[in-house]
Amino acid sequence: MKMEEVSMSSLDNSKLEALAQDILSDLVEDACLGLCFEVHRAVKQGYFFLDDTDQESMRDFEIVDQPGLDVFGQVYNQWKNKECVCPNCSRSIAASRFAPHLEKCLGMGRNSSRIANRRIVTGNNNNKSESDQEDNDDVNDNDWSYGAEKKAKKRKSDKVLSLQSSCIN
Amino acid sequence: MKAAVNQKLTEMGERDRLKELLRAKLTECGWKDQMKAHCKEVIKQKGLEHVTVEDLVVEITPKGRALVPDSVKKELLHRIRAFLAQHTK
Repeated sequence: MKMEEVSMSSLDNSKLEALAQDILSDLVEDACLGLCFEVHRAVKQGYFFLDDTDQESMRDFEIVDQPGLDVFGQVYNQWKNKECVCPNCSRSIAASRFAPHLEKCLGMGRNSSRIANRRIVTGNNNNKSESDQEDNDDVNDNDWSYGAEKKAKKRKSDKVLSLQSSCIN
Repeated sequence: MKAAVNQKLTEMGERDRLKELLRAKLTECGWKDQMKAHCKEVIKQKGLEHVTVEDLVVEITPKGRALVPDSVKKELLHRIRAFLAQHTK
């Protein structure tokens, strides 16, 4: 064993390098052979030429590489500068801002109810009590789901705390 | 000595890892597609029905060896040398 170690350590770098090259050579040959077998099997099983179509179709569907077009040749920023008329408030809105505007305008969507609620709350401070009632109802309607969650969460944490304290005792 | 190193290479699974690495690199750099295109020509020449593994091996291997990009060779050699350095001292 020791003799082997000694002889290995006294090898010069050129031999190691030659060995490395040999190993690389083996690996490359392996890869080539692998490819040959793969191709041969594909040929004999009949699926080697499957992805070739006739020249004409290949040309028809070739990838488009022009400015202002996507890879299919379609114009993709067509709607950038168009304007739409809002059916609700009849204002002219830019296309990319249209969807968020509609949300707010129609009173739907996630944020529009919050904004409306905030406005109502600040409006409450200035309005009479009767209109308060109505608005309060709306506020309560929306908060119902939030409130239920908060209550549920609160109850759950209370339960946990009480359990913990009972265990300790 | 070469046999001992080769055996170690295989036993430690490094040979398989190197094979996988080489295959991945060759596919990445387009070597595989190039070689496949060359295969197509060979097959068209010899005829789809009559081409044998031997035909392909004879036509593909020399060209395949020559077309491996230097960067891929370098990377593989780097790993092989590292392995040798670790396991032959």
